[in-house]
Parts: sequence; C-alpha cells; structure tokens
Amino acid sequence: MTEEPARIGGALSRLSRSANVKPRTRPRAFVSEMPRWMTSRGSDSRAKCDRESFGQELSQMTLFQDATVSSNAKHAAAAVAPLQVRGRFFTAMVLQMAGSADDAFYAALESKLAQAPHFFTNAPFVLDLEKASGIRLGGDFVNLVRELRWRKITLVGVQNGTIEQNRGALSAGLLTLQGGRDQSNETGNGSAVTGSAAQAESEPQTSRALLITEPVRSGQQIFAEDGDLIVLASVSSGAELIARGNIHIYGRMRGRALAGVNGDKRARIFCQALDAELIAIAGLYKISDEFPPEARKQRVQVLLKNEELCIEPLK
Amino acid sequence: MAKIIVITSGKGGVGKTTTTAALGAGLAMRGKKTVVIDFDVGLRNLDMIMGCERRVVFDFINVIQGDARLNQALIKDRRLENLSILPTSQTRDKDALTHQGVEKVLEELRNDFDYVICDSPAGIERGAHLAMYYADEAVVVTNPEVSSVRDSDRVLGLLSSKTRRAEKGEDAVKAHLLLTRYDPARVAKGDMMKVEDVLEILSIPLLGIIPESPTVLKASNLGSPVVFDEQSNAGRAYGDSVSRLMGEQIEMRALGPDRRGLFQRLRWRTA
Repeated sequence: MTEEPARIGGALSRLSRSANVKPRTRPRAFVSEMPRWMTSRGSDSRAKCDRESFGQELSQMTLFQDATVSSNAKHAAAAVAPLQVRGRFFTAMVLQMAGSADDAFYAALESKLAQAPHFFTNAPFVLDLEKASGIRLGGDFVNLVRELRWRKITLVGVQNGTIEQNRGALSAGLLTLQGGRDQSNETGNGSAVTGSAAQAESEPQTSRALLITEPVRSGQQIFAEDGDLIVLASVSSGAELIARGNIHIYGRMRGRALAGVNGDKRARIFCQALDAELIAIAGLYKISDEFPPEARKQRVQVLLKNEELCIEPLK
Repeated sequence: MAKIIVITSGKGGVGKTTTTAALGAGLAMRGKKTVVIDFDVGLRNLDMIMGCERRVVFDFINVIQGDARLNQALIKDRRLENLSILPTSQTRDKDALTHQGVEKVLEELRNDFDYVICDSPAGIERGAHLAMYYADEAVVVTNPEVSSVRDSDRVLGLLSSKTRRAEKGEDAVKAHLLLTRYDPARVAKGDMMKVEDVLEILSIPLLGIIPESPTVLKASNLGSPVVFDEQSNAGRAYGDSVSRLMGEQIEMRALGPDRRGLFQRLRWRTA
C-alpha cells in the first residue's frame, strides 16, 4: 500500500445553514438534529446551541426566515412563529478517503481513533471523495455510515464527489456539500483572511490608550475614546480629561478628570498630585471641596466602591 | 527672514501693548530691523504708546483691503531708524481682519525686517487668533494673579493647537513667559503669586520679570517705550528680556522696589 488509505486531517469544512445548504433541499429533521451534535461536542462555545436558544435567536436571518418559513407563518396566524431559522457556522471534520472502504481503511481509521478515543465522538464528519473512487453507490454509503457510526463517527455529508457518487450519497441520506475551507488556510495564506488575521495580530501592538506628553492647558479637552488616558505632564485648572477607561496623571492634576464615561464602574483615576477641580467615575463625581483634606496634593487613586467614589492613598 | 513674535495674554490690561512697544524698541536699539503691528482693531493703542499717533494716515486695515500700500501705512520711528510701526484702524472692528490679508502683510514684512512683533488684542477671538496664527514665537504676558495665569494657560493651549505651525505639524510655537507688574513687597506679604508658582502652573521658560513701577505708566503717557529709561528697574528688566529674546543668557536681576529713598531702601532690606 503506497498511499495511506484514510487521513483525518485538521481540515475543517464549515457547515453553514445559510450559505452551503439550500433550504429547499434540506430535510426538516436535519435542522432539529443539528444542534444536538454540537451540544454534545460542547467545546466550541459558538457551536453550543440547544433548542431554547435556537428558538430565541432569530434576529439575524430574517430574510432567510421569510423565504422558508413564511408559508408556515401564515397558518400560525403570524402571532408566534412555530419555528425560527438562523444561519450559523459549525466546524466539521473532513475525512479524506483513498480508494475504497476496505479493511485497510478501517484498520488505519481505528489506529487513528485509538490515539484519541473520545476526540471525534459525535463530531460531524464530511467525507472527501476526491480520491475515493471505490465508493459509488447508495449501498456503499449506507454501509460506510453504519460502519463509521459503530466507531462513533457521524458522517453527515460528502464533498468533491462525482455526479454518481453524489447521487448515491443523497440516497443514503447524506448531504452533498460544496466548498469548505481548511482551518490551516484561515491563518495561513488565504488573501482575504490574512487581512483580518494580520489586523488581529497587529491590534495588540497599537495600544488603545491615549498618551499625552505635553501639559494640558486650561480650556483643552482630551478624550480617550477607546480606553485609558495617560498624561505625563501637568493638567491645568479648567482643563478636562475624559476617558472610557482609566485615567493616569503623572504631573500636577488641577483640572477635571472623568473616567469610565461609558458607565464602566471598574475604571479608576490615578494621580501623582491630586489638586483636581472635579473627579468622576462612571458619572459619579466629587468636587474638590468634598475631597478629604489629607488627600490633597497626594498620590491617590480614585475608585468606585459600593456606588461610592473613594479616594485612597497610593502606597 | 524675520521672526514673527506675538505678544499675547488672554486677559486684558496686563501690559501687552507696553511690552510690544518696549520689546520692539529694545530690539531696534540692538540694531535689529523691527516692525510692531497693532492687531487690536477698533481699540488702537500701540501708536500712542509709541508716540506716533499724530502721524497715522493709513493703517493695517487699509493695507489688508488694498486701499493703501504697506509702505504708505508703515510709520518710521523718529528715535530709532530700525523701528517701524504698523498702526491699526480705530473705526473698524476685528471682522476687518482676514486670514489672507494678514498672511499677505506678514509675508511682505518678513522679507524686509528681522523681527515682526504682533500686539494681540485681549481675548481669544478673531483678533487674538489672527495675531497668533502666523507666529513663530510667543511672549505670554502674565500678571502674578490667578485670573491672568489661567487666561495665559488657555492662550498657551491655543498656541499649541490653533496656529499655523500647529496645524501644519511644524515645530510648536516657542512660548516665553513675561511676568509683569510684579511687586516683591506684595509677594512677600503673600498678596501676590510667587514667580515659582506661576512657572509651576504654566511650565514655559521665563523671559523676564518686570517689576511694578510708576515709570511704566509715565512712559506710556509720554509715548516713549519704557525700555528707553535705562535708569528704571522696569526699563532695565525689559532690556534684559530683549537680550534673552535674542538668545543671550542673562541672569535674572534681584528684584527690588524702584528708586526709593534711602530710608525706604533700608527698611526694605530689613523686611
């Protein structure tokens, strides 16, 4: 045997109910069964989908829903839809078979499964027929599905088959899928994907904090829209610092500082010399008259504790 | 190519026009071709402080609007040949100033002079904005009291954001602090802010400290820039400031009251 008869690669075929599967050809039973595999897999949070959430989540695919379910909705007097249909991505394993489903294939498969006995349990598998010339007829597929299920592998569809193979697979209750993308490609050299992948990689490099090195003058307003605000110089009276996240001031702080302006109650203000006119976190504020006298011109942090603004010395 | 220096403060009455006259005259005395421009349209003062109010025929606004050539509006000082004055209109208002007009006049002056000193009006509106917009350096005139310091701080913010240099991303406008009407006796009593306190808030280099002195008012009324009076503390302090503006390193003079009697001076020493 020159060729490995079976290969379970890291290849993932993405099953999308909206994109890859035509609603007209999809059996209803399949729709209701789909979440069950994924709940049993349990590892991918995106794939977790029980019947309840399946029913609740209908926002995204309204168009799709109209196309397939509107006839039912008419019967159900349109008040409460009896079912909802949404698009969702699932990860599937692709089984590449060479030749036919002979003993060598099953032996190789079993040795593979022995390495990770429970890893593939109830995982959806797609059979790649590109090199599997020995499996053609409906009966071949029925046998294969039974043999695989006995080994706790659930075959849900085929891809890259000939017309004859596809017909056989359909008669055995399997889907014929097109496309699918290897997982390795996603982080590799796929041009459309590398853009977003590169972006995701470069994001940690550019800090979301806003750094100010010059003095903030009276009448100036600095707004850190994305996160923390760090000021290395002094902040004059009449100047205003606003941040969604924390505010750090290393110079003299005489102006106003408003941290967590989007309601982030965990935001804090750090001052090397507190002489501020006003400080606020998530909308709760204190003016300088209300600061404890011992905190004046000291190194402090300001934080929310039980809905109360606290000024604590920095040790 | 001339250096364009704006004399600004935000607050009114702190001594911008007096400073413009003194620094302009001081630079001319040191051989620099200098022109002082009055940007306070409608409240024309600089020509009076410079003692040339009777010689004004055409003004800055006439030049901007094309009614007169720049040479017709420039007044040559009778005492210093290097000094010229570009007075402003008393009958118009700040809306008569335009970006293009101001730029054209300043570019023309830039070629003929070493220093162009712009006397900014008080406030932060159009007149003050245009006075500082094309500046290379700024002298921020501040009195040692809180409202003046805060206004100066505001102006420093505008200098770092609302000037041509800031908008083009060039080097920032170099700002100097000139502390005027400084009274050491009142500072000692705690009535007036200390130099260190002002510097700590504004955090820009100190160009000079001009002591409170009756000679300043007298000089203004006579139309003779105070820097001509080299006997007075204020005149000497302005002279030192001019030298520092030209890049010389000069120590700050010890500040004392101006020309008091022997008895008062003795009393000052013990205080």
